[in-house]
Amino acid sequence: MFKNEEMEINMGPQHPSTHGVLRLKLRLDGEVVTKCTPCIGYLHRGVEKICENKTFFQGQVWTDRMDYTSAVANNLGWAEAIEKLFGITVPRRALYIRTMLNEFNRLASHLIWLATHGLDIGAMTVFIYTFREREAILDIFEAFCGSRLTTTAFRIGGLREDLPPGMEKMVRNFLATFPDCMNEYETLLSENRIWKKRTVGVGILKAEDAIAMGVTGPVLRAAGVSYDIRKAFPYAAYSEMDFEVPTRTEADTYARYLVRLEEMRQSARIIQQCIDGLPEGPVMAKLPKVLRSEVNEVYHATEAPKGELGYYLVGEKGSVNPYRFHVRAPGFINLQALPKMIEGGLVADVIATIGTLDVVLGEIDR
Amino acid sequence: MKNFLKTLIPVDIYKGLKLTGTHFMKVFTTANRRKVKMHVTQEYPEVPVKLAPRFRGRLTMLKDEQGEIKCVCCLACEKICPTQVITIESGKKEGRKTKIPTRYDFEMERCIFCEFCVESCGFDSIILNHQFELAAYNREDFSIGMLGKDQNMFELTHVGKFSYSDED
Repeated sequence: MFKNEEMEINMGPQHPSTHGVLRLKLRLDGEVVTKCTPCIGYLHRGVEKICENKTFFQGQVWTDRMDYTSAVANNLGWAEAIEKLFGITVPRRALYIRTMLNEFNRLASHLIWLATHGLDIGAMTVFIYTFREREAILDIFEAFCGSRLTTTAFRIGGLREDLPPGMEKMVRNFLATFPDCMNEYETLLSENRIWKKRTVGVGILKAEDAIAMGVTGPVLRAAGVSYDIRKAFPYAAYSEMDFEVPTRTEADTYARYLVRLEEMRQSARIIQQCIDGLPEGPVMAKLPKVLRSEVNEVYHATEAPKGELGYYLVGEKGSVNPYRFHVRAPGFINLQALPKMIEGGLVADVIATIGTLDVVLGEIDR
Repeated sequence: MKNFLKTLIPVDIYKGLKLTGTHFMKVFTTANRRKVKMHVTQEYPEVPVKLAPRFRGRLTMLKDEQGEIKCVCCLACEKICPTQVITIESGKKEGRKTKIPTRYDFEMERCIFCEFCVESCGFDSIILNHQFELAAYNREDFSIGMLGKDQNMFELTHVGKFSYSDED
């Protein structure tokens, strides 16, 4: 009557905990996952191909829509890759403002990660509190560039406009209240017994596996590898900033939670340094009216909230659009570690593991 | 022993409940006082929302003091638009040196509100206004231009009149 048979089920693409349209084919033995195959591509829009048919100025609006929780970080990578391709020097004030907004974006992205990760596991209160701070950050984005989500914040060669009046006060107000808010999240989660039961020892990804699969970002740093593009290959104004790269050695979901929380504190530190040491001067470099590329290629990597975000651009002689455009999306590369992390675990831990990887399907499918 | 005591006495849960309880009491005791700092939500449809001065809303054309259209049909906005939502046809008008648009079509359903058109305009003849309630029932309502009585490039359109705040 009772047969010991493996069962195959689909998790997603409409499952609320898969953060979008991620579909997982799970092979289950009772409640234990024996095999997991992620199926992606439900949100594919062909961003890379579209950008090849657009000019260098126009392509930026598509980078907003890749990782929609961290549009500013995507804009920064795109703008800097093209500046590298054409050898444009950006004024120092613009670099500082870019760094500041990028760190705000890291905060916003990590806050939305914390909110949804907590919500998946069952901690609903923290969702309400993180969105309170995220709202303040989005207000800052709105004041700076007029849009909250799809920012299109930077321009090739610098910024469109300087900081609006009253922005400095907004930033300082945010920084004054933010450490207390961080303590609130810690009070709610760090020592909470349910949270620890759900996260400690779940979804372990060892350092050697992570390096072999090219995993970057907080997932790698939670495995004990101190690799951060901001330190390893400084871009924007990060070489002038004083911050630490937090690492843990446990390599489980709880360690990744602690690493991201510490990263948020470091981000607040960087913002403080940026707003204190903001240099005077112009915010836009002198540019030719039309950017025509030569035959050359460039790869520019930035530390997006989710890991190494790389833009690869190939120029064509006399062309106003890139010959080839490729994105090394951190979420896409990190997702391939998912089967390794959940095989042998329970179905309930799949939810926690997806949450800890911080997947955004807009970026994975592009 | 320490672990046993930790399991027995739920200090962590007490701390969490205390935090949420404090927040709840703060807001509960100051309810109906709008200017209290603790209130983070906005009563949006009833109370009009405050937007930043740089907010990017719907594309609008501007007129100068004499009521003349400022646009001179240089087609810069048409060229820079990443989604190609602007179509301009130019014509001539007596007593005006520069060209004047006879048709300025703006397909709002494909607009992504990036403000590249405003940036490229050398004559400050277009802006993105602060209208953000842009829902409509018909697809034709998104086609905004200069011709016809339903097409209005110069003021707030009827698109979005369905929202709660525009009633009465």
